[in-house]
Amino acid sequence: MQSTAETARTTKTTIRKLVIQYRTLLILVVLMIVFSLLKPVFINPSNLLSILKNMSYVLIAGLGMTFIITLGGLDLSVGSTAAVVGVGFAMLIRGGLLAAIPAMLIVMVVAMSLGLLNGVVSVKGKIEPFLVTLATMNIFRGLALTLTRGKPVPIVIPYFADLFGNGRLFNIIPSPVIISLILLLVSWFLFNHTKFGFYVRSIGGNQEASRVAGIDISRIKIAAYTMSGFFAFVSGLILAALMNSGLPDAGRDLALDSISGVILGGTAISGGVGSIWGTLGGCLIMASLNNGMSLLGAQYHVQILVKGLVIILAVLMDNALKSRQK
Amino acid sequence: MILGENVLELKHISKTFPGVVALNNVDMSVRSGEVHALLGENGAGKSTLIKILSGYHQPDKGGEMFIAGKPVLFRSPKDAIAASISTIYQELTLCPNMTVAENLVLDKQDLFKGFTLRKKDFQDIAAEALKNLGQSEIDPNWLVKDLSIAQQQVVEIAKAVTSKAKIVLMDEPTSSISQSDATKLMDIVRCLKADGVAIIYISHRLHEIGDIADRITVLRDGELVGTVNNSDVTESDLINMMVGRELKNVYPKRDVPIGDVVLKVENLASGELLKGISFDVHKGEILGIGGLVGSRRTEMLETLFGMRPITDGKIILNGEEFHPKSPRDSIKQRIAYVTEDRKKTGLVACLPVYENINMVNVQKPAPLGFLNWSKLKDVANGHRKTLNIRVSRIEQIVGSLSGGNQQKVALAKWLDFAPEVILFDEPTRGIDIGAKTEIYSIMGELAAHGTAIIMVSSELPELISVADRIVVMQEGRMKGIVTKGEMTQERVMSLATRKNQQPTQISCEGI
Repeated sequence: MQSTAETARTTKTTIRKLVIQYRTLLILVVLMIVFSLLKPVFINPSNLLSILKNMSYVLIAGLGMTFIITLGGLDLSVGSTAAVVGVGFAMLIRGGLLAAIPAMLIVMVVAMSLGLLNGVVSVKGKIEPFLVTLATMNIFRGLALTLTRGKPVPIVIPYFADLFGNGRLFNIIPSPVIISLILLLVSWFLFNHTKFGFYVRSIGGNQEASRVAGIDISRIKIAAYTMSGFFAFVSGLILAALMNSGLPDAGRDLALDSISGVILGGTAISGGVGSIWGTLGGCLIMASLNNGMSLLGAQYHVQILVKGLVIILAVLMDNALKSRQK
Repeated sequence: MILGENVLELKHISKTFPGVVALNNVDMSVRSGEVHALLGENGAGKSTLIKILSGYHQPDKGGEMFIAGKPVLFRSPKDAIAASISTIYQELTLCPNMTVAENLVLDKQDLFKGFTLRKKDFQDIAAEALKNLGQSEIDPNWLVKDLSIAQQQVVEIAKAVTSKAKIVLMDEPTSSISQSDATKLMDIVRCLKADGVAIIYISHRLHEIGDIADRITVLRDGELVGTVNNSDVTESDLINMMVGRELKNVYPKRDVPIGDVVLKVENLASGELLKGISFDVHKGEILGIGGLVGSRRTEMLETLFGMRPITDGKIILNGEEFHPKSPRDSIKQRIAYVTEDRKKTGLVACLPVYENINMVNVQKPAPLGFLNWSKLKDVANGHRKTLNIRVSRIEQIVGSLSGGNQQKVALAKWLDFAPEVILFDEPTRGIDIGAKTEIYSIMGELAAHGTAIIMVSSELPELISVADRIVVMQEGRMKGIVTKGEMTQERVMSLATRKNQQPTQISCEGI
């Protein structure tokens, strides 16, 4: 009798563990089933591809953000950096001033320097990254607005839009999807199989213990913010390509959307625990919600309301599952 | 108050967690006016029992608890407090930014009528309670964060006393205070006892229990081994009861040939904190660092490890001057540091065992920074075997291990780069006797391989039995070096305490 009770209990804990481990996937699957039942067109391959395309730039910023949040930091400035990238690129190629490749390299260096700046100011100045990036979020946005006097700058190179925006590989897969998947794999490798990823997790888990173990904390932090700048650069390029112009207003929601995706993916806001696959899942949840609700005819204001509720519910569920585990 | 009456009785208390039986059918009774020690290795079930008594856990069905003969059932800590049980946890639970008086009345706001705070009343209550404990030198208006840990403990006790607790649970109250503060604490415990309070006292320090306890209950693997009168047993009887086997030698001493000088410190200073520290340590030697809490022994190790600036004097490593500016510099010179506070500076609690063990290993050069985790897991498994780290899987999260196993993980991370000097800060704090013995034998092993060891310890018996020489410090200054021949607890203590700082006798007035 007792042994059956015990077996039942261990089965129960195993199921609970599985639920905790795959909670993001679980929410996603439930969402997809619900939307498919309500609107069968949701599950069409072309619609699924458009979900992936629409979330690509959020996912890319979210990949950088996964490193930053696991490190115990935050980067609110990615959206503004993406805007600087878009308008910078558009202005550099305007009237044949520069060819596309050098222009792209320049804005990449600029974006990474802005990330570097975030890292250096917060590490050397010993300021909370939330405060530093709150400030630079405004500064970089101001920069984009000042450069353009608030007006969009059209991008005149047609192949640019194809390469980063509305083009399709084999006429099927949208190019932003390809780019985000490549970066996803690179990030996963960096996060799980390199020293850098390990340092990020160990510093986020316990900064002092990492210092005592001889890890160069400042260097890793600065590198992570610089990397976040790089991801914001790619994000910004895609945004610009989708719009076919550099918009000083681009990426207003990018920071908060990508943070939401990261948190929904189970990365702890307190640092130390993170997951690249989780971020993919989190971003997919947000994008499916947007898409599904649009199909159902919900307006924007309803969509963001539901988005907010989903974040709270996911975190509540997280806490409930984890506390019962103890 | 009639002494010797049972105030608390436990019958058939069991507690099962998923997959673990933490307590199995434990009986225990506690009389008023007695100090009842609870002994057992880590994992024996002491903490679970304490948590049941303080209302955090509910016992399994079939278990009964009686207070003053009446059956009770605690659904929450609040119920336990209402039944006049107060708990003083190992990690203190005071609000650091509030005053002593505010902390004392925090749980007694129901006593005060009206909307506004009655600060004068708070102060009076606090001052009286502190005076009754013979601790008038603590001002009720001080902020708790400015108090020493020992003083904070006094405040916790005063809090318990003022809430008219009849049963006080103390979970390792002396684990982080100095010997002289511990002596003071013992006196306070005697004051409580004289007033008829029953005290359940958990400690790993057997000599302390020998001094203070009336009866002792020993647990092992969740089972009751027995309850004995303190006067009937010796320390080694107790150890046998706890461990369940003969532990012939708690301090396995190795005779290791002492080699050349590895590290020499000359007139070392770090700001105002440290001044005039000079000693050397040889290959194969274990150099003890003694002193009271607050004698800045940890600060001294941190200076050696590059975590604090060197403002004067020098460190000479293998004949060459060495000026570390960061832990990285020290690690490059093959110095390792096993820190005092495992949770804060020794481990990354949320990461698995194998990643913690490889914290230093991963810094070795690797192409493109690629990490071969399957190889690193093998390395971790090797340490798990040689150090006898008890985990079910190497992927287990380090925060879930017992203190002794955590300490072994914290130590293991340093072993692969063959350190020449290892700094140990309180290497056996809060770990059980079995694990302690293992840590000592690992230290002996390291010394036998020619590693120089510097060990800070607040446990005098440990220091005297393990160290070859002892440097005694007081308030950041060096007071002397005690050599093997002249090592006694008295000799070390007399160097560590200032003449006018002798522990004063406490009177129990007013209780």
